[in-house]
Amino acid sequence: MVSASAWAQPPTRTELIENLVSGVDRYNPNNVSILEDYLYHQIRSEEYDCLANLAILKLYQFNPDLYNPDVVINILIKALTSSPFPDFNLCISLLDERPIGLNPDEPDPLPTLLPLITSLHNLLQQCRFPAFWSLYLSEKAESLRDNYTVECVGFEDAVRRVVVQAVNAAFKRISGDRLSTYLNLSGDDLTAFVKNLGWDVDASGVYVIPPNPDNQIVSTVVQENIQLPQLTKIITHAAQTV
Amino acid sequence: MAQQRQHWEADLDEELQDVDLAIGNYGQVYDDAQQPRIDEATLLAVQQQMAQQAAFSQIPDVVKRFIVHFHQAVLNNDLAEITVAYESGWNKLTEKFYSKTEWPEAEVIAPLVNDDQIFLILYRELYYRHVYSRLQPDIDDRFHSYENSCELFNYLLNSDGPVPLELPEQWLWDIIDEFIYQFQSFCVWRSKAKNKTEEELQLLAEGSQVWSSYSVLNVLYSLIQKSKINEHIVALQEGKSKEEIAEIVGEYGVRPLYRMLGYFSIIGLLRVHSLLGDFTLALKVMENVELNQKSTFTRVTACHVTTYYYVGFCYIMLHRYPDAIRAFVSILNFILRMRQYHTRSYQYDQINKTADRMYALFAVCNALSPTRLDDNISNIVKERYGEQFSKMSRGEEGIPAFEELFLYACPKFISANPPPYEDPELLAAYVEDPPVEPAQRHLALFLSDVRAQAPVPTLRSFLKLYASLDAKKLSNFLDADEEELVQQMMVMKQSSRSVSRIDNEKGLLNGETISTSDLDFVIDVNMVHIAESTVGRRYAGWFIRNTEHAQRVYDTIKASPLPAYNKAPRKPAEQQQPAASAPRTGGQKVAWGGAKVA
Repeated sequence: MVSASAWAQPPTRTELIENLVSGVDRYNPNNVSILEDYLYHQIRSEEYDCLANLAILKLYQFNPDLYNPDVVINILIKALTSSPFPDFNLCISLLDERPIGLNPDEPDPLPTLLPLITSLHNLLQQCRFPAFWSLYLSEKAESLRDNYTVECVGFEDAVRRVVVQAVNAAFKRISGDRLSTYLNLSGDDLTAFVKNLGWDVDASGVYVIPPNPDNQIVSTVVQENIQLPQLTKIITHAAQTV
Repeated sequence: MAQQRQHWEADLDEELQDVDLAIGNYGQVYDDAQQPRIDEATLLAVQQQMAQQAAFSQIPDVVKRFIVHFHQAVLNNDLAEITVAYESGWNKLTEKFYSKTEWPEAEVIAPLVNDDQIFLILYRELYYRHVYSRLQPDIDDRFHSYENSCELFNYLLNSDGPVPLELPEQWLWDIIDEFIYQFQSFCVWRSKAKNKTEEELQLLAEGSQVWSSYSVLNVLYSLIQKSKINEHIVALQEGKSKEEIAEIVGEYGVRPLYRMLGYFSIIGLLRVHSLLGDFTLALKVMENVELNQKSTFTRVTACHVTTYYYVGFCYIMLHRYPDAIRAFVSILNFILRMRQYHTRSYQYDQINKTADRMYALFAVCNALSPTRLDDNISNIVKERYGEQFSKMSRGEEGIPAFEELFLYACPKFISANPPPYEDPELLAAYVEDPPVEPAQRHLALFLSDVRAQAPVPTLRSFLKLYASLDAKKLSNFLDADEEELVQQMMVMKQSSRSVSRIDNEKGLLNGETISTSDLDFVIDVNMVHIAESTVGRRYAGWFIRNTEHAQRVYDTIKASPLPAYNKAPRKPAEQQQPAASAPRTGGQKVAWGGAKVA
C-alpha cells in the first residue's frame, strides 16, 4: 500500500498542479481547465491524484456553473479503485445538492450513473469482488463501461489491485477457483497475472502468497515501555519535598 | 488608568445592587467635550438625532462610563484594561441590563467615544455577537453584522500598513470564531427557503454576495497571507532567531495582532472546510501547525478545544480512527485537568458541550476500531454513552446508535450555495422539493462506511474463541454462505488496519498503515488461524499512582499542625488508616507524562 504522504502528494504531481492544490489559486475558477486536463491525463496514464481531483470538485461546489458531469464521473471512477481508502466518499461529500435545472437542454448522466457507481463502490468496500464483477459486467453498467471506464486506461487492473491488496493481507494460500472469481480472470490470463505478482502455485492449483506483515500473524504480549523523561515530574516533585 | 478602572468597577458593583435604574441621569462624562459634535449631527438628521438622544438618555450611567473607559483602554492599547473590560465588564453589564435586549446601537453611543470609527466597529462586533448569542438575529442584524465584519477586516488588511491596534488574544480568537459562526448560522437560515417574508426574499435575492463562502474564505486566507503565519511557524520550527523571523514575517507578521489573527485564521479554515465537507483540505491547511500541548493554539482554551474537535472529526471521515482517538483523548484529558480553573469562565458551557460531543465521537471511533483505551476517558464514555456503545458493537442492529451519536456530535454542516432566491420559479421548485440537508448527506456517507464493516463485531467475537477454525465450520455457526464469509473476513482484515500518524510527524495528512486490532488472523486456503495479542501487566501506572499517593500523604502530613499531646495514643496501624485515605482532597497534584503502552 502507498503511504499516506504519497497519497497526499503523489510523486507524479507537477509543480504547476502542486501550486494549485496547495495555494489559494485553487479557488480561481479560471484554473479549473488545468485541473480537468490533469484529470484526463490521470485517466490516460494510470496516475492518480486524489487531492487535485478534490480541488476540481471544490471549484464546482463554489461555482455551480462550472459543473461538468463527465469530469465528476471520471473522478469517481478514479476514486473507486482507491478502496478501501475513503476517497470515493470524500469526493461525494463535495458534490453538493445539484442546482435544479441548471442546464435543462444538456442531459446530465450523473443522476442515473451515480447509484450504479455507488453500488460498485459499496461492493468493493465490502470485498464482495465476484458481485462487483457481475454488476460491472452486467447490462445495467453498459453505458458506464462504454462511455467512461473504457477510456480509463487500466481500470480493470486497478480493480484487481484492490483485490490483490485484500487477498495479500488476509491469505497465506488461496485456491485458484476462489482467486479466479475475485479477479475475474481464468486460464492463461490468471496464470499470467499471478506470475506478475510473483506468487507461486502448487500442484493442486493453490496459490501461495508471499509472507508480508499483514499475513504473518503472531501472538504477542504487549509490554509497557516507560522512559525516564516521562517520570521527571513526579521525581522532581519528590526530590523537592524531601 | 488603574484608578479610573477602580472608579467604574466600583460604580458597576454599586449599580448592580441598585434595583432602579438611573434613567435620564446622564451626560456628566461626555457632555462638555462632545457637545459640538452632537450639534453637527443635529444638522444632518434632526429626527434621527432626537430618537438617538432619547435612546441615549435610556443608557444607564454605569454603562456610559464603561463605554468611555473601554474606549480609552482601546485607544491606549492597554491590554490588561481591555481584557478586564472585555471579559468582565461587558458580561456583567450584559447580565444586568441587556440580558433580553440589545446593547445601545453604535450610533447612539458614538458621542461617548468621540465618534471613533474603529472603536465603533469593535463595539458593533460585540453588539452583534450579543444579538446572536442571546437574542434572535433578524435579517438586518445578519446583513449588518456581515458588513461590520467586512469593515473590520478591511481596516485591518487594507489600511496603509499595519494598524497600531492591540487586542487580547481571547478577543482575537472570538472575532474569528464569531465570524465563522455567523457565516454558518446565516447559511443554515438561508437554506430554509420556506417561511421567508417578502422583504427577506427581496434582500436575499439582491444580496447573494453577503456571507458567501468565497468572501469568508477570502478574509481567512488574507489574514494568513498578510501575517505570513505559515512562514512564521516554519521558521520557528527551523529554530530561526528572533531577528531572522522578524525579517521573514515582515511588518505585519511582527505585530501580535496580525500574528494571532493569522494563526486563528488557520484554525478558522480547518473549521470552514469541515463545515463544507472538505475534510482533506481541512487537515491540509493545518499542515504546518504542530498538534501538541505547547502549540500556540493552546493559549486560548476555546481555540484549543475547537482545533482538536475538528481535527478529530476530519480523521473520522478519513477512516483514520486511531488518529481521531488520539486527538480526542488528548483534548478530553486536558479539559478534565482544566475543569477546576474554568468553571467560572463564560466559555465553560460551550467547552463542556463540545467535550460531550467528543465523548460521543470517541465512542463511535472505538466501536469502529476497538482499541486499548485511556481508562479515564473510557469510563466517562461508558457513563454517558454506555447504552449506545454496546449497541454499536453489535453490527447492523447498532446502526441507529451510530446515527444518533453522529447527528448529535457532528459539526453543523452547511451547503456552499444558497437556494435560487434570484429566480422565483426555481425557488418554488426548490421549496417544493428541497435537497437533502447537508448533515443528512454526510450521515448517509458515514453510515455506508459503518455498514461495510457491520459483520466485523460478530466475526470478532467468534474468532476470539478459537486458535484455528475451518471457514466452513465458521460459516455454519453464523448461518452464512462460506464464500460470503471469506469475503467478510477480508473486510475484517481491512478494518483492522488504518493509516495513522507516526510519532507526531509533521503534516496531519501524513501517516503509515498500522494494525489497530489485538485480534489478527490469516486464512490458509480454508483454514482460519487466529492470533491474539494480550497486554502484559502494567507496572508503571501502578507505581506512579502509588508514588503519587504516597507523595500526597506525605505532603498532607507535613502541612498539618503537630498533633496535640494525647494521653492514650492509638496503635500505629490505626493511625495510618485515616492518613492514607484522607489526602485525596488536599495536597499537591502531581502530573506525569502519560504511561504509554508500547
